[in-house]
Amino acid sequence: MTKVTPPAGFSRQELPVPFEVHMGPLFERVETDGSRVGAFIADERHLRADGTVHEGMLMTFADAFLGRAAMHEAGDRSVVTLSMQASFLADIKSGDLVECRTKIEKKTRSVVFVSAHFTVGGEEVMATASLWKISGTG
Amino acid sequence: MPLVPMPDGFSPVETEGFGGFSGPVLGGADADGPVFLFDIAAKHLNLYGRLHGGMMMGLMSMVMGEGARTRTRAGNSAAKTRPLSLNCDFISAGEPGDRVEGRTIVTRATRSILFMRGSLMVGERLLMTATGVYAVETEGRK
Repeated sequence: MTKVTPPAGFSRQELPVPFEVHMGPLFERVETDGSRVGAFIADERHLRADGTVHEGMLMTFADAFLGRAAMHEAGDRSVVTLSMQASFLADIKSGDLVECRTKIEKKTRSVVFVSAHFTVGGEEVMATASLWKISGTG
Repeated sequence: MPLVPMPDGFSPVETEGFGGFSGPVLGGADADGPVFLFDIAAKHLNLYGRLHGGMMMGLMSMVMGEGARTRTRAGNSAAKTRPLSLNCDFISAGEPGDRVEGRTIVTRATRSILFMRGSLMVGERLLMTATGVYAVETEGRK
C-alpha cells in the first residue's frame, strides 16, 4: 500500500478489498446533508503511456465507489456489477484529486441503478451509468 | 509475473503505469487472431474473493485500447487514440488462478472515430462483453 495523506475533510476507505488496496488508497467524505463524496489522488501507478490517468483506473475507482453506493441503497446487502458505461470528458494528470458524487436513479427488488459524476477542481472529467445486482434476490 | 510460463510469441503490453502495476497483460496471437492473456492473482480480487470489477474493466480497456492503437498505427504511425466511451457488461465472475483471454475487433473505423468490440473469456466461459468508442487524433486535428 502506498503512503498517501488523505485530502482535507476526507478519511481513508478502510474496507479490505485486495484490488482497491493495491491501486488505492481511496478516500471518502460525508457531507453535511449525508451524501458521500469519494476521492483518490492520481499518481504514477494510475497513468497511461501519454501521462494522463488510465481509463482502467477511473473505472476501478468508479466500480469501488458506485458499488458502495449501491450496497448502501440495498440495505448493506452485497451487490455485484451488472453493467457500467463511462464517458471520458477530460484528461486527468498525476497529482490531481479526483472526486466522485453518486446518484441513485432507481432501486427495484433485485437491481440498483447508480449514476455518477467525476470532477477535478470542479471540472467534470467523467460521467458514468451503472447497474448492480443485489445478491440473494434470484 | 504470470502464474504459468509465458507462451511463445507473447510479450507484456502497457508495461508502464496502470498496466504495469495492475497487470501483467500479455499480448500475442493464436489460430483465431490477436489475443491477450491475464492471470488472476490475489491482488486482483474483490471483497468476495473473485476478480474485481474494476480490474475486469481495466483489462478490457487495455485489450480494446491495444486493438484501437494497432488499427490506427497501421494507417498513420503518428496518430493517437483516446477512449471516449466504454460500456462493459459483466456476464460471469473470474476466479483466482483463472487465465483470462481477451479479444477485440474493430466494428467500424471512420477518419476520426473507431468503434471497438471486445470480450473476456476463461476457457469456454464468457466473463465480459464490451464496446468502446475511441477518437483518432492526428497532428493538428482533434
